[in-house]
Amino acid sequence: MTITTLLRKTVLATALSVGAQAAMAETIGVSWARFQEERWKTDEAALKERLEELGHNLLTADARGSVERQAADIEGLLARGAEVLLVVGHDTTAVIPAVERALAEGVPVIAYERQIKHPDVTYIGFDPVLVGEAQARALMEVQPEGNYVLIKGGQQDQYAHGTFQGQMNVISEAVESGKINIIAEQWTTDWKPEVAQSNMENIITAHGDSIEAVLSSNDGMASGVAAALEQAGMLGLPLSGQDGDIAAVNRIARGAQTMTAWKDVRVLGRAAAELANAIAGGTDPMTLDGATTFVDEEMGIEQAALPLEPVTITIENIDLMVDAGWITTEEVCRGVESGKLSLCD
Amino acid sequence: MALGVALKRMDEGSRRLLALALSLVAIWAVFQVLTGGLFLTPRNFYNLAVQSSTVAVLTIGMVMVIMTRNIDLSVGSILGLTGMVIALLQIEVFPADAAWNWPLTVLLGLALGTVIGLWQGFLVAYIGIPSFVVTLAGLLIFRGATFEVAQGQTLSPFQNIYRIFGGGAAGSLGETASWIVAALCAGIAGILIMRARRDRLLLVTTALGIAGLVAAVAMFNAYDRPRSELGHGIPSTILILGCLAAIAVFVMRRMPIGTHILAVGKDVEAARLVGVPTRRVVLKVFAAMGALCAVGAIITTARLNAGTTNLGTLMELNVIAAAVIGGASLDGGRGSIIGGVLGAFVIQSLDTGLVLLGVSSSMRQILIGFVLIGAVWFDRVAARHR
Repeated sequence: MTITTLLRKTVLATALSVGAQAAMAETIGVSWARFQEERWKTDEAALKERLEELGHNLLTADARGSVERQAADIEGLLARGAEVLLVVGHDTTAVIPAVERALAEGVPVIAYERQIKHPDVTYIGFDPVLVGEAQARALMEVQPEGNYVLIKGGQQDQYAHGTFQGQMNVISEAVESGKINIIAEQWTTDWKPEVAQSNMENIITAHGDSIEAVLSSNDGMASGVAAALEQAGMLGLPLSGQDGDIAAVNRIARGAQTMTAWKDVRVLGRAAAELANAIAGGTDPMTLDGATTFVDEEMGIEQAALPLEPVTITIENIDLMVDAGWITTEEVCRGVESGKLSLCD
Repeated sequence: MALGVALKRMDEGSRRLLALALSLVAIWAVFQVLTGGLFLTPRNFYNLAVQSSTVAVLTIGMVMVIMTRNIDLSVGSILGLTGMVIALLQIEVFPADAAWNWPLTVLLGLALGTVIGLWQGFLVAYIGIPSFVVTLAGLLIFRGATFEVAQGQTLSPFQNIYRIFGGGAAGSLGETASWIVAALCAGIAGILIMRARRDRLLLVTTALGIAGLVAAVAMFNAYDRPRSELGHGIPSTILILGCLAAIAVFVMRRMPIGTHILAVGKDVEAARLVGVPTRRVVLKVFAAMGALCAVGAIITTARLNAGTTNLGTLMELNVIAAAVIGGASLDGGRGSIIGGVLGAFVIQSLDTGLVLLGVSSSMRQILIGFVLIGAVWFDRVAARHR
């Protein structure tokens, strides 16, 4: 196997040096679920750059949040000659028939970021369960017991359920022993910050000062929660997030948020490009570094997966993000009092 | 007996408003009991007022749009776009510490909202494209543009003074100023009803209104600012809402365009024949709607202290629902500004109360949907009995 890949890479390199011969390039198709969110542009740029380095073409289609459109998109990508498919499932169950059509045509499918439960699909992404676990661990470190509020993501979104599951993996023991008390939890329509803010305000009304930590499932909602806490004079309560939004990192620097589970999607984009390259070359994904098997006992499914772990960012290690070029020092330090954070002085 | 006679003498619009105000009080009472006294605490009352403000501001415009037998499906997207443009200018483009920054961005935001409104009004009134189509297109166009403005990034933080518009701890009047505002309002109301001294019913309703105002201000003042004994007072968002609603009511009742809006909604052809500039009326109504969207954007972004891509998504539905609960008829020619504002409070009260009870978001959607149908159904049945 390795020899074939090696050979292939050498051939590719030669091809590139002669001046990109189209015959060697594979066409990789991506079906986005809803491109209009902060992160996907970054995903696409990293994916495209790495694929082009490897000598492949990228075709994209955006389902704009529609199950039907995504099925049509996948058919369209196949018709346009995609030889490997990356799919960000809008509804990861409803997309399976379209995925099976691709597999039937001999086109390998990679589930990108959101897991599609199918034995022949390879999954790559920041596992939401790992994200949830990182959030809960970071909060438990600063607030090992007490009254927790859970601000969960969109109820229709599997990713929100994955994150929630990860959080519960970490805190459920403490919940059962009574150390942690979940005094309120709410799903948040479409993960909207304004909705999270109103919900948090109402939860503060109901529970007031007894709230001791807020497990928010992402940074956008954390901005709403922080605004509600500030209004009640409770800013500084342990608060979690995910994504590494610039505003969230700034909140961490100002002491208004405890952590964000940073998903450097550029790492994901590059890793996915390499995975697609390997699969296109006939490599078994299970032989790759970091590969593992995801097992769903209930559905009896075993599938190859390359889960990436998010990096927990707290006030201690913001410089990691600056060094990676994710955020500038100026963006981190907006409104940070001098002497509070060495990075900002 | 006297009350019955008085009620019969009331015109249909006032009766509907009275019913709506009573249902709002009833909803509050029910939640007060169900939540074990949490609902009508000063804190929740204050939050409820601020949470309702954006939808209520937009409803003022929506009532006028609906009265001209049009609809605006793009309000949430216009709000998103203007909010994001304000955020981009204030946070990324202009210097963060310049004193002129926030006033200029606010003005530019209002201008942008108005221009968008004029554009849509032009398409509806002068080109003759149905408003449903124009604003459906607007919903898509401006939502897409909202993303393009900052490539989907969340922008934060705003200037401190700007955040006053959000009605948080900094955005409230304080106790003394709140009482002064209340006294001014009561005074104006008193002068206005001097002329109608004979009308006992009007006197009673005005007295009740002033009592409600005093109670509300007392509630706002009873909610202490964090770590202090000083009360919040009237939130800025309610002040903005109150001023805008008062202007709108004045325009509808006392200015020619108010009559024109009604005439256009009842029968466009007849209105044109008697010399109403029907096209210009529609154009102006859409322009006002656009400007109000910008006001909503200012309140929402200042409150959240961030501009986000999905700002205002699906808000058009709450706004239309509030207008309809408030008595606006989609057949045109009928609607009430105050009713719409009360409608916005009804919807937010249900939402807030149900969250306090720990009801899930999907169940909340179901219940509020039924309330919408219920309100119009009740209205129909009541109308048939008259």
